[in-house]
Amino acid sequence: MPIVFACAASHAPGMTAWTEAAPKQQADNFLENYHKLGFRLAESKPDVIVALTVEHWANFFLNSMPSFCIGRADHYDGPIEEWLRIPKARVPGDAELANEIIDACLQGGFDPTFSDELLLDHATFLPLHFLNANFAIPVVPVILNALTPPMPTAKRCFAFGQFLGRSLDQHSKRIAIIATGGLSHWPGEAKHGTINIPFDKTFLQNLTAGDHARLTRYTHEEISREAGSGGHEIRTWIALAGAVEGWKAELIAYEPVVPWATGCGLVTFHH
Amino acid sequence: MSLYQLQKFIYHVNRDAAQRERYRQDPTAFVKNYELTEAEAKAALDVDVRTLYSMGVHSLLLRPFTLLHKISNEDYAKALKGLE
Repeated sequence: MPIVFACAASHAPGMTAWTEAAPKQQADNFLENYHKLGFRLAESKPDVIVALTVEHWANFFLNSMPSFCIGRADHYDGPIEEWLRIPKARVPGDAELANEIIDACLQGGFDPTFSDELLLDHATFLPLHFLNANFAIPVVPVILNALTPPMPTAKRCFAFGQFLGRSLDQHSKRIAIIATGGLSHWPGEAKHGTINIPFDKTFLQNLTAGDHARLTRYTHEEISREAGSGGHEIRTWIALAGAVEGWKAELIAYEPVVPWATGCGLVTFHH
Repeated sequence: MSLYQLQKFIYHVNRDAAQRERYRQDPTAFVKNYELTEAEAKAALDVDVRTLYSMGVHSLLLRPFTLLHKISNEDYAKALKGLE
């Protein structure tokens, strides 16, 4: 069964934690479109959601920082942030699919770590809050290190996504795949609140044009300089572009929301 | 400097509700579980945003930690003014 749905979405905590700080028109446009993406995801009737995601020190620390980690727990608790204004919940996992993905990776030249216990922070929990009503659909988190250097290259993330996509396309389950993070933001830094709109628009243009050569050429230095520490999360979007290679990306919304300190994007992909 | 230990302390408080509760009950005793310099322990206990940031605490550890202490976006930005 080919992948049934794919989208990429930003996850700024302000979207829920301080929604009302944003200009109403921007917040309404972005969040209404986020909910609409959730309806479209539901319409595709997935059995499971594979989430290409990141984390913010919810699990991994500097004693051991994987480049790629696949969650194979039966469930995931979150969010860890008591200030996020999303009620705590338990999200079902899909250990069987996760194990199949891990095995396929190891056979196919990728060596992700795996984890039977992951806490979810806003990076995964916030998108699921909008896209997965009542957390009813099981989730397999695939965490990419976009948190602290050295990080996997854009090229490697694309190749990893490509590999995942080819594996998932052959699966008997109906699989939705989402990517979360970005676009430009400098969270918690002295430049907090800066948004590089030209960078974001060019990135979205590269994505919607299917310019995979350019997507895989983003360097760590370029992203740091132009899109901030939070901008590194575009690695999940680049991985998704690999996973649904050949699909057409459609921009649903882009709002540079200063009070949320993030260039916020929503993109969906079509066959 | 023991930035690793300082960040580990914040990581534990941010991510783990049980450890957060122990920290809240007795912050001074809690930070003694980490090998911190006197200056680091003081900055941690004072939730001194500017000093912790200057010591190199990762921004995605520091901002959630300060949100737990109800430091507003405005006050956080003010504390880091000039460090851009």
